Amino acid sequence: MKRTSEEQEVENKLTLSLKIDRFFSKPVYRKTLDAVSISFFVLVIIGPIINIFSTIFLNLPSIYRDVFADELIGNLQWLNILNSLGVSFSVATVAVIFDIIIAFPVSIILTRYDFRGKKILDALVDLPMAVPTSALGFSILLFWGTFGINPGMVLIILGHIVFTFPYIVRNMKIVLEKADTLYEDAARTLGASGITVFRTITLPMMKEGVIAGSILAFTRSLGETGATIIMSGLVETAPIMIVGFRRQLELPSASLLAGILIAISILLLFSIKFFSRRGSLPIKGVIPEFERFLSHRYFRYIRDAITSFILGLIILIPSFFIVTQLTEGDLIGELFLSQDYKWAYLYSSLISSIQVGALAVLINLIFGIPFAFIITKRKWGKVITILDTILDIPIAIPSAALGFAIFLFWGPAGIGLFQPGFFMILFVHVTFSFPYMVRPIIGVLETSDEGVEEAARTLGASNLTVFRKITLPNIKQGIIAGCIMVFTRSMGETGATIVVMGSIRTIPVLIVDWVEANVYASAIFASTIVIIFSALLIFALRAVTKKGGN
Amino acid sequence: MPSIELVNVTKTFNEGKVLAVDNISIEIEDGEYVFLLGPTGCGKTTTLRMIAGLEKPTKGKVLIDGKDVEEIPPEDRDMGFIFQHFEIFEHLTVWENVTFGLEMRGLDDEFIIQEAEKALKIVKLLKYADEYPSVFGNPGLQKLAIARAIATGAKILMMDEPLGSLDPKVSKEFRHELRNLIKDLGLTAIHVTHNQEEAMAIADKIIIMRVGKIVQMGTPYDLYEDPNSIFVANFLGETNFLQGFVLSLLENEEMKIWIRLGGPKIICNNLRSYYNLDDNIIISFRFEDVYLFPMDYQFEKSPYDWSKVQIFEAFLESSRFVGATKRFYLTLDNGDKFISVKPRTFEESFISGEKLTIGIHQDDIHVFKAPRDLFYELSLS
Repeated sequence: MKRTSEEQEVENKLTLSLKIDRFFSKPVYRKTLDAVSISFFVLVIIGPIINIFSTIFLNLPSIYRDVFADELIGNLQWLNILNSLGVSFSVATVAVIFDIIIAFPVSIILTRYDFRGKKILDALVDLPMAVPTSALGFSILLFWGTFGINPGMVLIILGHIVFTFPYIVRNMKIVLEKADTLYEDAARTLGASGITVFRTITLPMMKEGVIAGSILAFTRSLGETGATIIMSGLVETAPIMIVGFRRQLELPSASLLAGILIAISILLLFSIKFFSRRGSLPIKGVIPEFERFLSHRYFRYIRDAITSFILGLIILIPSFFIVTQLTEGDLIGELFLSQDYKWAYLYSSLISSIQVGALAVLINLIFGIPFAFIITKRKWGKVITILDTILDIPIAIPSAALGFAIFLFWGPAGIGLFQPGFFMILFVHVTFSFPYMVRPIIGVLETSDEGVEEAARTLGASNLTVFRKITLPNIKQGIIAGCIMVFTRSMGETGATIVVMGSIRTIPVLIVDWVEANVYASAIFASTIVIIFSALLIFALRAVTKKGGN
Repeated sequence: MPSIELVNVTKTFNEGKVLAVDNISIEIEDGEYVFLLGPTGCGKTTTLRMIAGLEKPTKGKVLIDGKDVEEIPPEDRDMGFIFQHFEIFEHLTVWENVTFGLEMRGLDDEFIIQEAEKALKIVKLLKYADEYPSVFGNPGLQKLAIARAIATGAKILMMDEPLGSLDPKVSKEFRHELRNLIKDLGLTAIHVTHNQEEAMAIADKIIIMRVGKIVQMGTPYDLYEDPNSIFVANFLGETNFLQGFVLSLLENEEMKIWIRLGGPKIICNNLRSYYNLDDNIIISFRFEDVYLFPMDYQFEKSPYDWSKVQIFEAFLESSRFVGATKRFYLTLDNGDKFISVKPRTFEESFISGEKLTIGIHQDDIHVFKAPRDLFYELSLS
């Protein structure tokens, strides 16, 4: 189409920003941005993960020599690896099952009931998700320590229940909030008692939420490092073993274990995504009489009482117990007056954490927004389905394994671009937090109204103007939510950081160091700081997403 | 001057699996107010969106002022578009909504203020200029959508169910205002709706669509008086359908038909003249075209010409008073049913169960070939 002089004239009168929008709205720029965003995803997010499998394959002889046929210990290393995997899976399984049982009543209480202090309880339940797990783990260690429970298997399970719990409750709540209570009302008018309604109507609606929450909780438990190091004593979970191998520079063993963990997690992710569509829940076989009996309000009171008790004792109080310990020990002497300048370490690691978090947010923002657009708007059929599925891989795989994969990929053994240190920490954090940025943006894009964008185009706005003036204000909440999620995840991450940190410390790692070195007063102080910080962030997140809901 | 032409336009979705628009050609002249009318899913909205550039035709051409607009994106087509759900920018004020399109055109500030004020005055929303659209209900949003679309000065206005979100009563009152506005501004307008009454009331021309194809087009009067299919006869207005077959073909393009065995024998026009003896047929006639007389009515004595009126007998099953009209439910000897509508002021009072004489003018009876599936033809989708 040739431009007439009239159109040219209109073009000249436009303001600068509109001119720029028009210029960059050409399809070629959109395609370029798509290509850049997908290259970033493939190289930075998926590359290291694929690389670890090729590394294992290429180094099979040395792995075999170290792990299966060592001159001194034979295949002891392999037995240790198997043992650690067993521990990790048992912990995750027990924790998730316990979580699901207790999450049902909690999510129903938080969505279907109305009572004073509901909002605060809701925020408290969410909070363990935002607090760095090492601080959480330390708090739990101190709490159960007063009951004489020492580091070991039981404490690990208690700890994992705490920090995986919010993932399940959150997902159940989302489904319950969306589900129309009219169906439940309809069932009641047809004569079904409370529990029958729950089993036959509510439960099937919650299926997706339960499954989504369980995947997240299970993979989080499987991959947790920071809290587990503190709570484990002599027990070794798989991620801790990776950290150990990395510290002792047993790279072949580390890459084998990391590869196994990554493979298992990916299989788990895919199989659950596959089966969640087919699985069904036991809703048939109507036993209304018994359920009518159980629906009596006394049983409801009992249920609520037990739920509150467990929620308080196992999840809420241990999480924040540490705050009461601030006054124990000689904080001033240890932190500020000691010869080794602990306060300076605290300050510098806090700054490192904030720097890494902020830069990870920035990088993921730049590449995440176009990527979310690709997933929601491009009509590439199967390609989108595949991208959409592998997007979740960084969430599913244990962060210590991911960290090690990135160390192999970008570090001296691979491309050789970075040495362990600040930039490698940043790379790891960008990788594992990428889905946390993209998912909320996809969420708002999917629900946002395309009609408004079309309206703007019929009024004469070019693609980029539409994005700037119409789309962006509409998806702002999703973007802010993504930023806060990325920042909190980055602030709280231990396992991946330990593997690639070199001499730099972030705050969760510093807490681990201090707990291991028995400088409790300082560790308590550092933990309290990050708990308060996380609490502020989670309240900000809730404020933002609530606005989005309206 | 803006004219719109569609030449053999086809649109498929889902890699060709769904055929939304099937080889249609339309011509719309400058200043015409055209309705795309049809049941849900007939392709009318897709057609509108292709003209606006929001969808690309799979095949065929869209011409505006004789120019092929295939490569022109929606933002450069200079059309106003009113969406079914209005799609008002809720994060912008009423004023910012209306000036949006003007600003996109890089106009002077003074001119923008002048035009936006003019548009807001027309829809009587000027005093809400600084409010956010959330203060409005559907009628307010509707007016704002109109103001936003006309403020740019675009000479073509596209509307997708613009009155569909309004309360039926408000919508009835407002449609005449909408037509006056479009005519005052001299716009070429395309209006998509499934509401036949709305189309009949204010259209210059109606294009009736069904499953992606154009069934018939013409002025409201032409379509009502001379529907070319059972679907159109049924879709516009209230129509009786009776089954029958051709008894004998007469001269003067007339034929004698028998309304099913046992029913009356009547004479109809054979205008399309493709019927043979013994063909199964459907006849249609409007509710209001059925005249009722007492059995002892003496036609010879009345001053009118009854030669072309078909007269037969039927039972009055029941009658209902429906506000402005009275409805009479009638049954033939063979059990076939039909309805007559008379004004409220219709004086004769018949008793249910009484036998009446029925009169229908020959020109009001339309004949169609019996379709394979009458139920499908009578369904409104």
